[in-house]
Parts: sequence; C-alpha cells; structure tokens
Amino acid sequence: MPLPSTASAFRLFRPVLAIVSVGWLSSCGLQKDVDVELPAPPAQLVAECYLESGQIPQITVTETVPYLSEPSNELLTDVTVTLTGPTGRIDTLRFGPGQNAGTKKFFTHRGRRRLTIRPGDTYRLDVKDTKGRHLFGSSTMPAIVPIDTVEWKFNDRTGEQRKAYVLTKFDDPAATVDFYRLQVHRRHVNDDPEVDYTPDDRLLNGQRFVLGTSYEFSPNDTLFVALYHLERPYYDFLRSIDDAQSANGNPFGQPAKVRSTVEGGIGVFTILSYERRRVILKE
Amino acid sequence: MVRLRSFRFVFSLLLLLAAPLSLLAQVVLRGTVRGSDGSALPGANVAVPRLGLGTATNPDGSYELSLPTGRHSVQASFIGYQNQSLDVNLRNTQRLDFTLAPGGTELQEVVIEGSGTLEQKLQTTQMGAERITAREAKLLPALFGEVDILKTLQLKPGVQNGGEGTSGLFVRGGSADQNLFLVDDAVVYNPNHLFGLFSTFNSDVVQSVDLYKSGYPAQYGGRLSSVVDVKLREGSRDSLGVSGGIGLISSRLAVEAPIKKGKGSFIVAGRRTYFDVFTRQINKLNADDPDYNPIPDYYFYDLNAKANYQLTDKDQVFLSGYFGNDVFGFNSTQGFNFDFRWGNRAATARWSHVFSPRFFTNTSATASYYTYNIANKLDQFSFGLSSSIRDYNLRSDWEWRPEGGKHVVRFGGSGTLHHFGVGRLQAGSQDQELNIGQDVQYDGQEGGLYAADNFTVTDKLALDYGLRLSGFRSGRNDYGGLEPRLAARYTLSPKTTLKASYALMYQYVHLVTNSGASLPTDIWYPSRLSVKPQRSQQVSAGVSWLFAGGKLLLTNEVYYKWAQRQIDFRDGAQLFVNPELDQEFLFGRGWAYGNEVYLEKKDGRTTGWLGYTLAWTKREFEPQRGTDGINGGRPFYPTYDRRHNLTLVLLHQLSKRINLTGSFVYTSGNPTTLPTGRIAVQDVFGGELEAVPLYPDRNSFRLPSYNRLDLGVVYKLRPMRWGGESDLTLSIYNAYNRRNPYFIYIDEVRDQETEEVLRYRARQVSLFPVIPSLTYNFKF
Repeated sequence: MPLPSTASAFRLFRPVLAIVSVGWLSSCGLQKDVDVELPAPPAQLVAECYLESGQIPQITVTETVPYLSEPSNELLTDVTVTLTGPTGRIDTLRFGPGQNAGTKKFFTHRGRRRLTIRPGDTYRLDVKDTKGRHLFGSSTMPAIVPIDTVEWKFNDRTGEQRKAYVLTKFDDPAATVDFYRLQVHRRHVNDDPEVDYTPDDRLLNGQRFVLGTSYEFSPNDTLFVALYHLERPYYDFLRSIDDAQSANGNPFGQPAKVRSTVEGGIGVFTILSYERRRVILKE
Repeated sequence: MVRLRSFRFVFSLLLLLAAPLSLLAQVVLRGTVRGSDGSALPGANVAVPRLGLGTATNPDGSYELSLPTGRHSVQASFIGYQNQSLDVNLRNTQRLDFTLAPGGTELQEVVIEGSGTLEQKLQTTQMGAERITAREAKLLPALFGEVDILKTLQLKPGVQNGGEGTSGLFVRGGSADQNLFLVDDAVVYNPNHLFGLFSTFNSDVVQSVDLYKSGYPAQYGGRLSSVVDVKLREGSRDSLGVSGGIGLISSRLAVEAPIKKGKGSFIVAGRRTYFDVFTRQINKLNADDPDYNPIPDYYFYDLNAKANYQLTDKDQVFLSGYFGNDVFGFNSTQGFNFDFRWGNRAATARWSHVFSPRFFTNTSATASYYTYNIANKLDQFSFGLSSSIRDYNLRSDWEWRPEGGKHVVRFGGSGTLHHFGVGRLQAGSQDQELNIGQDVQYDGQEGGLYAADNFTVTDKLALDYGLRLSGFRSGRNDYGGLEPRLAARYTLSPKTTLKASYALMYQYVHLVTNSGASLPTDIWYPSRLSVKPQRSQQVSAGVSWLFAGGKLLLTNEVYYKWAQRQIDFRDGAQLFVNPELDQEFLFGRGWAYGNEVYLEKKDGRTTGWLGYTLAWTKREFEPQRGTDGINGGRPFYPTYDRRHNLTLVLLHQLSKRINLTGSFVYTSGNPTTLPTGRIAVQDVFGGELEAVPLYPDRNSFRLPSYNRLDLGVVYKLRPMRWGGESDLTLSIYNAYNRRNPYFIYIDEVRDQETEEVLRYRARQVSLFPVIPSLTYNFKF
C-alpha cells in the first residue's frame, strides 16, 4: 500500500472518475476532434541525463516542440555537452545517437569512460548550441538508503486468481529530509515498472518505511525492486511531470509547469543512488 | 484591518438604539400568514384597505400592524394564493392569523411567487437580491429530473456555475468558497452531492431561498461574495400530509402532520438515489467473468426534519435538522476495499419572541458539521484519511419598528466556535509494523455584532445603513474589522427608482481546493498567523423601472468589487495531510466588475425572466515565497470568468392541467489552460517515451461558447379518489443536443499495430447530451 503522502485529490478519485467518465463519454459519443490554434513558443533546449556510478554517461538533448506538431526524429547536431566532475575534470560527451542495449534508452551524446561516483560527489552539466542557448545544472549524489527486506504474501485463491502483494522495508535517516522512489519491475528493468511510488519522509522521518503493492503478482514472478534515494530537485521534477501529464485531460486538475533540475532550458540532470534487489516469488 | 480590543463601541450603539421602547403603540394587531399547507408566507401583504395601512410579513410569516381601536376588515394576500379578509374588533392588542388557500385548485403550481410583488421589489432599498421558491424551481426543467434550487439560482444574472451540470455558485467574480450557505440559520459547508452535480437541498422541504449578491444586510457576514439563505418549510398545522416523487435517479418522500392542531407541526423528508441498486445487479450478473471490473457502489441520501410549536401568543420555537451523506464503496476481487463517504449535518433550535408589537427577536443555536472519510483496506493493511469542520453557533437578531413607520432597526450578534480537523491520517498494519498517524487540528472563534437601520427619509429617499463588527481568534492571533453596509433608494417617479449600495466583507475561513470544482475532499482552513482573512468591498448602482401596467420590472445594476488576500496555491502544492499546509498558499488580489440587466414578469399565464450579464473577473498573484507567483505575477482570468451570460426563463400555463416551461442559457466560453509545447521524457530505465505537456500562461485560452435549451412539461393528473394530487413532470435537458465543451485535452493518435505515435490532436469533451427524464410527484 503506498504511503498517502503522495496522494492528491485527483489521484484518490482517479480510478473512480476513470470508470465513470470513460463509460459515460464513450457510450454517448461525447468526444470529438476540434481545431485549436496553439501558439508556438520559442524552442528551448531539453536535456535528460542520469549519471550512475560504473556506467558511461549518456545524455539525450532535444528541444521543445509545439504540442500539435508531428512527431519527428530530427536531432540537434550543433550541441556541445560537457560534464565537469568533482575534481574539476571536464569530459566532453561526443555526439553519437544510439540506443543503450541494457536500458533501451535512446541517447544523443555519450561519454568515453565509465564514471566512479561516490555519495557526496557533485557533477555539473553544460549543454551549449550554436544559437547561443546554454542549459546547465549540477547534481550531488545522495547516500544510498539500503533496502532492509523485500517480502511477499499470497492470497488464498487458486489458479490465475492466486496473487501476491510485495512489501519493501527500509529505514529512513532521521537527520535529513529525504525523498524516495520505489520501482518494481517484472522480468526486465528496461520496461515500464509495475509499481512506481515517490514518497517523502514527511510523515515517517527517522522511522521504518513499509511500502506495499496490491495483490498483483503471480507465483514465480521475477521482480526487480529498486529503491532510489532522490535529490529534492529530481523529486520535484518527477512530481511536476506527473502533475503536468495528469492535468491534460483532467477537468479538475490544475496545470502545473515542469520544474526542471536545470537552468537555461528544461529537463533533468541527476546522479542516481539506488539499491536494487531481484526476487522470485516462491510460494 | 482593526485588531479586536473590545466590542464596547457596538454595545453602546445597541443600547442607544434600544432605549426608547416606551414609545410603542397601544393597540396592535399581529399574527401570521400561512399557506394551507402550513408554510409560513414571508413577504405576504396584510392590509386594512379602508385606512390605507398595510405591512409585509417577516421571513417567518409574522406581521404586526398598528391600528386604531374599533372594527376593521383586514386582508391578507400573496401571489399564488387566494386573498383572505377577516373582520376584527380591536380593543387591545390582538392576534389574527391567516391561512391562505392556493389560487385555484389547478393553478397553484403555475404562478411564480417571488419576493413579494414587483412593486415591492421596485421600492425596497435592498439591491442584488433574488428569491427563489421551491415551487418555482419545481416547475423548471432539471437535469435527470432532479429539482435543484441552486441550479435555478444559476439562471439569475451575476451568478455563474462551476461547469456543466454543477451546483456550485460563482457570484459576481467570487469563488465557490465565498458563498455563505445557511439552512434555517445553520451553515452548510458543502452543499453538494456527487462532485457538485446535485445540491443538498431537497426541494420537498425548501420553502424559499434568498440570494444576496450585494448590499448585504448587516446580519450576514463571514463570506465575501454572497449569502444563500435557505428556509425550510413547516409542516401542516391542520392535517396529515404525504408528498413525494419517483424520479429517474432518486425518489423522495415527505410526511407532515400537526403536533397539536393549529399550534405546531412537524415535517420529515427523505431522498435517496438508487444507482447502486442497478449497479449491484449488473455486478451480480457478471460475477463469474474474471475480466469484469465491478462497478463501484454509489448513492447519496438526505434527511430533513423540522418541528415548530407556538408556545404562547408571543413565543414560538422550531427545531430543524439536516443529515446527508454520499457513500462510495468498492470491494475488489483482489481483496482491496475502498470506502469513501462525505456529508453534512446541521441542526437549529430557534426561539422567536415578541416583546411588544414593535419589538421582537429571534434567537437560535445551531450546529454544523461537514466531514469526509476515506478508508482503504488491503489484507492486513489499512489506510484512513479524513477532514472535517464543526461549528457551534449562537445568534440573536432583534428588530424594532419605532412609531411613525420611518425606521426599521435591526441589531444583534452571533458567536461561533469552529473546530477544523484539517487532516487526519491513519495508516497501519495488523502486526503494528506499520503505524503512521497524523492529526492536524485547529480551533477558532468567530464573532459578529451588528446594528442597522432602514430609514425612510422622505417619500422619495430611503436609506438602509448599518455596521457590522466581526472578529476571529485562532490561537493567540486576533483578527477583525468593521464592515460598513450602506444602501440607498431614491424614487424618481412612481415607477422608477435609483439604487446604490456599498458593502465591506471579511472572510475568516478558507477552502483549500485546487480543482476549481467542488470536490468532497476540499478542506476548510482557518485564518492564522500566515493566512490573513480575506477582504472584499463592493459598490453597486442600479435603476429599476416598472412598466406595462406594473407587469414587467426592468432592473439594471452595475457593480465593481475588489478583494484582497485572495488564496491560491503554488504549482505542485501538497494539499493532503500536510502539517504545514499554509506554506502551500499564495496570496493575491482579485477584482470583478460588470453590468446586469434583468427583466422579470410575475403575473399572468406567462411568467419568467430575461437576464444578461456583461462581466469581467481577474486575479493577480505576485511572486512570493520563492515562487514566481501565478502566471509570473501577471493578472489572469479565473475559470469562472464569463464575458457574456444570457438567460431566458419562461413558464406558461397552457391549460389548467398543463404547464410548459423552458430555459435557455448562453455564456461565453470559460478560460482554460492548454499546453502549447511538449517534451519527451524517457525516464531512468527505458520504458515508453512519454510526452510531457508544457503549459503557458494560466487560463490563456477560452473554450467555445456554451448554450443550452431545457424544456419541461408539468401535467397534473386527475385528483385521486381520496383527494390526493399528482403530476407527471417531463424534463428535457439540452433539448437540441448541443455538445457543449466541458474541457479540451491533447491526445495521441497511435498506429494500431506498432503503437507508434503518429500525431497529436485536440479533443473536446462534452458531459451531457440530450437527457429526457420523467418524474411522478404526488401529494395527499
């Protein structure tokens, strides 16, 4: 069961409203395409970069586009990306679009060496293009908060109805204000997670966290449970993109602006700090 | 803002006003005017035509007339009822009660009664006031056939709704929490069912609703934009009566009877929806389908009860209560239980006492409670979230009418103890490994003292001036201020009057809502050190013209309202279970101005009104608290800003049995925010590439305009053998089936095989197509 600190009014009602509204609107034909003229705001640089110790840094640099424009694979070729480490060493990431075989993520720029990052290390990102646009940001790796236990329990049904919920337990450090992200993937980590929570420790500072799922996993499922310890700006970014997406199509939602971790553009630059466990749900 | 030190000044004023009681008249006739169903008839005329003397009844149907001793023929009249004349031989103060029969056996449901006659409306100093009776609301076509008196108010100039089909009121640029809803003097904090689609007011027990948009009488305070004063009707003092209705989504039943004939009566009324009856059957039929998702249970119900009793010639008491709940429940086959219920409670005990024919008082004690409660359960884990507000209020209102008839002096006071259960969270597991609890509660005390005088200066000039001193204490913080109220009427000619008013209002309790709609999870929050009271001022001026032989009244009012310390929230605000909720608030200012034209007709076979409002509403939140405010500090239009609003309501008596009704609404589209740009986000580990919308300035677009025609027919059936009455009411909501915009969103169009996003498109969502409904109403 997720902690309620991340709940919002609409999230509480979302299943209800979805059931009622989808049934009603679709049955009555109450939706139609309309022409709206949306102004095209000036394009801004967009960066998405997650550094991870032991990995070669990769970054995706794009730019904002008008919402109703056609999807395009056109890439920015005039961008220079540099990464400055805690020692002051500057690495220039070379332009070389590709897809990471492990994460299935697309990237536009890639480093030349694997990084060794320790908690407390700070990196800075600079993205410049020939039009004079300059996106920049920095990130400090949070300490790893270890998972204490991952456990599960099956219901008393049989066959396909037999399902388990999963509990993830960990202890929150008392001295700091902390933000987390719990992801549970089934079979692979390079796909959308089955569970994705972003709690903070406002209600449980210094106490044990128990984050649970519903009865949704089958016997012998292989799960990857990852607990990320987030920087505040990254947490805000995640919340804001969730709010922004929720507001599109929600008459009760208040449109929210994306709260970037970078300046001079839009996007996220952060160092990941997480522990991941692989479990097989044995009965 | 004046910090409260004492109420000494106002007490002095009250004593001064109350001093010359010795000047009261010696021979007085007093009594009540009631309908044959026992309901008090406020605004009825009581007159002695031979002497040219007369008066109008008070809100409780009582009246008093100073008359010379001797024989008099006294006549009582009220629109929709037959006149009644009674002879009296006055020697001393005497009581004379009237019971008016409906105006013709078949006509009673036809005639619209308003706040007295158009002539009275022309002459009153009160501006921006509207009265709707339940009988009026019952005639008009309604969504799903559910008569809703608040939606009838939305058809009046200067009143906007919060969206298609919703009961929320946005009055002259005010937000939904700036309306004071009173039911028999008790505050109702959430007057809505089903996310605002229906109001909590059961039309079977509502006598009348008074709406004040400006020139607020001094006895009212605590909200910035309007007062909605609902009076419930009293049961018949003569005989047992049962009434009710069977509708598309709900049924109603009301029982009334005398407690002691002619002395007192009671009425009990209930209403319940029955969506859940059908959905449970559907769920049962599909119980064996593993892919079937059960439909959640939902229903709401209301229960009203009121009893009144005439203790003596000078004393009357009534007890009134309301209990209503919305219940939403879901039990999944996966062992997940979700129970969500919300509702209001309100109770009033009121004592009316007549000290002398010209001096009387009403004293009431009320209790109000609103709460929502969410309870989830999954196996050994449970999670509960709730919020509430509870009030205990004592108020006393006094009225004194000095000899000469030039003054009507009103004064009184009220005190309220508030308890705010801002947020209570409990999450735990049976093994106690998980046990989270949080409870944020505040107390507050609110008080008000007022004095006002309705002074007829000359035949042409009348003033209604008053002063209200209001205050609020929360912890060690005191807030308060003087609220002057002023209204003036000048008679240009017997058929034309000019009016003007000014009012200052404070609001000490605030609704925490980020939705723009009325959700049950909205939280009430007190003024505290970091959340100062809201304040508004409004000036208005108007002209009224009675023409066509007194059958038509044309009113034009202009207004300008400005408000300080308006509340909104920063982007991404955490509004649930947040012990520092006030840190999410942003404070700004707002202003609204407009012109309202109103033409009404209350006599004859065809009645109704035509209203047009041209209005602007703006809000501004400058950068603060580390944010760039809202919209970068630039002014913006809130979602309830509507430039043009046209309403036409017609009721026509086709025959003695058939009444035709119709209403047409046209409004400008409401402001909305649409994303202009997008970015693509992949997230940490692969997954699907997601488009994230980028929003420009708030509410920088407008939806297409809104228009809708509703039609209705009321067909009175032949009287039942035992004398009962019944009718069939057909309502057609959105008669020409217009797809009015509810909201617009941007959608992805994907390739059906590859799931690849091909393009993006704007989609408009409408809420209600044409909806016919049939309701059977009965009364015996």
